[in-house]
Amino acid sequence: MTLDADRLKALAAPGLPLAQTMKLVAEIEDGAPPAVASLAISAGSTIDLLGLFLRKHALLAGVRLSVRQGQFDDPVGDAERFAAEGVEHLLIAPFFDLLAPAFEAQAGQWSNDLIDAREAEIRARYRLAFQKGAGFRTIFLADFHRFGAALPGGDATDLILARFNVALREEAAAFANVRRIDMSALVAEVGRSAALDPRFYLRNRAPYSALLLDAWARQITAMSRNYGAQFRKALVLDCDNTLWGGVLGEDLVAGVKLGPHDYPGAVYWRAQQVFADLRREGVLLCLCSKNNPQDVEEMFAAHPDMVLTQADIILKKVNWREKVDNLREIAAELNIGLDSLVFLDDSDFECEAVRSQLPMVSVFQTPANLPAYLGVIEQIRSLFLAGGVSQESRDKTEQYRQRADALQSQQSFESHEAYLASLKMTVRVTRNDAAQVARISELSQKSNQFNLTTRRYAIGDLQALMASDDADVWSVEVADRFGKAGLTGVVVVRYGAKTADIENVLMSCRVLGRGVEFALWAPVLDAALARGCETLTAQFVASTKNAQVADYYDRLGLTHMGEVDGARRYAHAIEGLARPPSPWIQLVDD
Amino acid sequence: MIDETALKQTLAAVLGVDPDAITEESSSDTLESWDSLRHMNLVLALEEEFGVSIPDEEAANITSYALIKLVLEELTAA
Repeated sequence: MTLDADRLKALAAPGLPLAQTMKLVAEIEDGAPPAVASLAISAGSTIDLLGLFLRKHALLAGVRLSVRQGQFDDPVGDAERFAAEGVEHLLIAPFFDLLAPAFEAQAGQWSNDLIDAREAEIRARYRLAFQKGAGFRTIFLADFHRFGAALPGGDATDLILARFNVALREEAAAFANVRRIDMSALVAEVGRSAALDPRFYLRNRAPYSALLLDAWARQITAMSRNYGAQFRKALVLDCDNTLWGGVLGEDLVAGVKLGPHDYPGAVYWRAQQVFADLRREGVLLCLCSKNNPQDVEEMFAAHPDMVLTQADIILKKVNWREKVDNLREIAAELNIGLDSLVFLDDSDFECEAVRSQLPMVSVFQTPANLPAYLGVIEQIRSLFLAGGVSQESRDKTEQYRQRADALQSQQSFESHEAYLASLKMTVRVTRNDAAQVARISELSQKSNQFNLTTRRYAIGDLQALMASDDADVWSVEVADRFGKAGLTGVVVVRYGAKTADIENVLMSCRVLGRGVEFALWAPVLDAALARGCETLTAQFVASTKNAQVADYYDRLGLTHMGEVDGARRYAHAIEGLARPPSPWIQLVDD
Repeated sequence: MIDETALKQTLAAVLGVDPDAITEESSSDTLESWDSLRHMNLVLALEEEFGVSIPDEEAANITSYALIKLVLEELTAA
């Protein structure tokens, strides 16, 4: 969607007065298409103004968000009601005042029995709210924090709230869609006296300042990954004055600044620690540097304080070509969109070139004022990690590396099929695998290129489909002699009396070009036949990114039936469907 | 003297009405959207706009255009 650029720029200004914020948000929304994302607030304090700031940060991220307000302190009822209404995200924000009037003053008198009883009640209540809220794409859970300052060394309030927060965290851990917000950290970030406003707290139960609400909304927006508008996958790093201080070609390995103890080397060393941590969390690290490749190789091999190793880097573009071209190649070779790339470089020239020619790439600049570098690194970190990371993503570099290894050995075979046969590929197609719902949902959020209708599924959607007699969710896992590619595909089928309608097919691009996308159909079609279906129907809905699968159903042998409401519809008798052979793939049963 | 145009614009933005709808007679009784929630936002917005800190006892009570003007004039004169 296109939003009013001048107004957006004004809205992004730091310290924008409240009245201006209200005016600009209303004006921008007025000219924008209908809301594409929705969030409901279920709070135990008066935080209506948070809705304004949530809409503001959504607009800044290019998304129009509709915000609903729930009942006062009714997380279970709100979860039930808003889930039924199809709201996508829910914020649950309990407040310590709900525990008892003037809780902070009384906490010291609470007996252990009372604390136990309240903890049990909190667990039961929020567990129920999370259960009712399983259909939300995300439940943001703001934890308990205090209003007053703690006594030195901590006091009863601290101990009790810490215990209740552990209880909330433990209950939330059973629900894949719950993301915790550390409110004490948020209050500390804004500053206690600036974050909390006693005037309206006592009178209206409105404890927070506009400053705090603004920061809170910014965090929720980042955690939602801009309401699904963006999903970053790879971090592309410059080398000189980004991974180490100085210029490798001039200062040589012995002369560049890098090490745990000395300034400025310690700043770069710390930065590398964060990059290495991101790598472990599943972020793909790439180099894009104007340097002699052998110099960089030597730096990685020989410098005693390098944190990153060659094995951490999935792709290197160390050459003297334009960085814009290198970034294009990186996206192509990793088979991800340019908008999945984050680029970090110290040069004004390079940053500007990328910003102007590849505006979809997120560009960060290593600041000349070096201590500010840590803040930039923190922004990059939160860009990748804000939404939480699943275990599968965590292992992703390994999977991409196996793919890269596979690409290299591809060249030495006589035919593509001989190569594929050598991979000893196995494909496991599983029906309604409840244990996979979190990963299936994540894949449906992320996959754009191989996604026939770009329909996304929340965890609750998938659970409902799996439980239904009229639908099946098939998950596809691929392995080969190099390793497991993990969950790589999903097929959602809805059954009529005699028809099986393919609601969507989506796949990770990691395994494309190996015939998996056709091999997976055998169990799906057999299951449809077994329940008496005669006809297979399907549709393709074009998006800006899925052109590569525009003819997927044609290649599968379905008959094009014409266009309906922008969707290209297909049908075919299931019995007569020629299943494309892929003899190099072995289908595995459960 | 305070800038009454700025005052009217602030009220209009927070209360979600047209600036022309704000008059000397406007109050929480005459404007439906002037409820207790919007009143809190209004106090915050006025403090930012006029660079003042409105004391607690006044904050809850200035529920008319005339009273707001009076309090702001006192605070900015000081």
